[in-house]
Amino acid sequence: MADKIFDYRGLKCPHPILKLSAQYPNFKKGEIIEVIADCPTFEKDIKAWCNKLGKTILNIEKQGNTLKVVIKL
Amino acid sequence: MTMEKHLCPYSGFLACNNLFCESGQRLSEILHLCSNVIEKIAQGDTSEKIKLKVERYAVQRLINSINKLADEIEDLINLNHELAIGVCEHSDVLLRLQEGDFSAKASEDSPIEIVRMLGSVINKTRDRFVEYIDKIKEQHEEILKFYEQQNAILSNVGTAIIVIEEDMTIEYANAEFEALTGYSKQEIEGKMKWTEFFAEDMLETMKTYHKLRRISPSLAPRQYESKLKDRKGNIKRILLTVGMIPYTKKSVASIVDITETKKIQEQLIHAQKMESLGMLSGRIAHEFKNILTPILGFAQILYNKIEDETLKNFTQKIIESAEKARYMSQQLLSFSRKEEVEGIQKINLNKYLTDFSEFVKPIIGRDITLQIKIPEEEIFYEINPTHLEIILMNLVTNARDAMPNGGQLSLGLKELSLDMDYHFAHPLVKPGDYIVLCISDTGVGMDEETKQRIFEPFFTTKPKGKGTGLGLSTVFSLVKQYNGHIHVYSELGKGTTFKIYLPIKEKVDFSRLDISAFKGNETILVVDDDSQTRQYVSSFLKDYGYNVIEAENGQQALEIFEKNKDRIDLCLIDLVMPGIPGIEVRKRIKYIKPDAKTIIMSGYPVNLKDIVSVEKTLSPEEILIKVRNILDEKE
Repeated sequence: MADKIFDYRGLKCPHPILKLSAQYPNFKKGEIIEVIADCPTFEKDIKAWCNKLGKTILNIEKQGNTLKVVIKL
Repeated sequence: MTMEKHLCPYSGFLACNNLFCESGQRLSEILHLCSNVIEKIAQGDTSEKIKLKVERYAVQRLINSINKLADEIEDLINLNHELAIGVCEHSDVLLRLQEGDFSAKASEDSPIEIVRMLGSVINKTRDRFVEYIDKIKEQHEEILKFYEQQNAILSNVGTAIIVIEEDMTIEYANAEFEALTGYSKQEIEGKMKWTEFFAEDMLETMKTYHKLRRISPSLAPRQYESKLKDRKGNIKRILLTVGMIPYTKKSVASIVDITETKKIQEQLIHAQKMESLGMLSGRIAHEFKNILTPILGFAQILYNKIEDETLKNFTQKIIESAEKARYMSQQLLSFSRKEEVEGIQKINLNKYLTDFSEFVKPIIGRDITLQIKIPEEEIFYEINPTHLEIILMNLVTNARDAMPNGGQLSLGLKELSLDMDYHFAHPLVKPGDYIVLCISDTGVGMDEETKQRIFEPFFTTKPKGKGTGLGLSTVFSLVKQYNGHIHVYSELGKGTTFKIYLPIKEKVDFSRLDISAFKGNETILVVDDDSQTRQYVSSFLKDYGYNVIEAENGQQALEIFEKNKDRIDLCLIDLVMPGIPGIEVRKRIKYIKPDAKTIIMSGYPVNLKDIVSVEKTLSPEEILIKVRNILDEKE
């Protein structure tokens, strides 16, 4: 169960990761977050974001166009 | 994207080469395909490409344009994503740096030049920042070390030190201040006010100084004496040195307990005052006696020759007054004299006091009860009995007069040994065995001012004509002649106690000592402003083989010592001299030659910490023993 959920459905990339980064001051180290988006390039973006920022992807779930990504900060 | 197969009379449009097919289906399919691809591109999906080759030029151009657009859009999307990732990453690094996480480092591998440069700028800024922080840490460590060093200085300086804030709260107190006040650091620091430690009569002055010092430090004295109240309520005399701490409103105060020093000073001043009074009164009495001799003589002749009764009566009055004046002069002379006491007898003090108490009963009257406290063991003392009687009679008479409405008079006797502790508190009293005579009353008592003056000749609190003011000065003089000491304790309305301490002396029989033990051939510098004393000391030193150099003041002594420091083995220095005092002369001599041997000579018994002293009034043999001991490093 994620500590926080961020729903960015309807937003085109790279808006979801930009918005997610803007949440940084509210993040705590070790926290689990869930990010939902439906932009076709979101998967590529979120993987790059986690890789660059040193976050761990715990799970990726695809339902149609919608992607749910669970991340450990 | 490939086209789906569908029925066509020409076996499907993929195989159909007729661009102008009547069904028109092929062109329509191609346009649909193009529309689908454009829609996906619009959604950001550039993965679809149209792989058809058609002969019709316009259609092929459309397909090529769509594919080219997809490529260009893909490049733009990739650029956009790289920029976004770069922004996210750098903003993450900046936020971590803002939170103090200096391990955060921006990557410099972005394919976009500006993002790479931004990462590089962030890293350089971070490195510069870390450099500054390391420098600040170094400085901080230096400051901490300096603070610890200062703290160690303050803790080990051996003087009580406190730091006072503007509102008078004590911010810092060292161990000496704890010892001085009886409060712990935890109780004092940040909790107690400076003013809580001062005697009430000093409070207003202290507050004024505190305020003045913060307006302008020169307005308040840097050093002054005050009174400190410790945890038990004891009042201590202190010497304060106060200064402001730069760039703050705080002040630092060092506090020296001068209670004992003041007490000793007061005792010395009192002793010197009594000595001066003795000299003055002796001189006056001597002059008066000289004047009275012809007055009495000629008045006597007149008395014998005059026959007229009235004139004879007048002459008689002159003789009586002159006799009275001669008696007083005699009394004054006895106060001032310092000659060897005569008529000494070994007296059983127990018996003497018992007889004396019977003798004074009629004098003290019925309203006063007399109590006598004497030990069972018999105490003998060598004293002139007349002197003892004068001492006791004067004190008993004063006690009686102090109890006009009756009371209790106590006479006590005991043997006592005074140790070094007592000697430190009362430097005029040597440690040793004493006979103590105690005369105590429950009368009116005295205030401090009266107590300070009771031994002065002609000082009296009795009504005019009732007392000469010479009684206690005579007692004082007699006790001093036996090298004794008087302690007075008095409380207004409660009574007074006089304690007479008479030393039990075991006299050294110098005739039995080997005279050669005093002899020496060393060089001694004798410093004394009094030429007679100087010559006296020099003469007996020379008699015993010493080489003597004389100096009549401190300045001369220092000049002589500077020139002859390797030749002079010992310096005998007078304590009280005009110009540079003896102690200062000794200090400067020690500065010239740290291992220089010195003895301070004084007119009174004094206790000077770590300084060897000798009384000038002692016999030459006693002084010589001291000289020999110092030269031989036995003391």
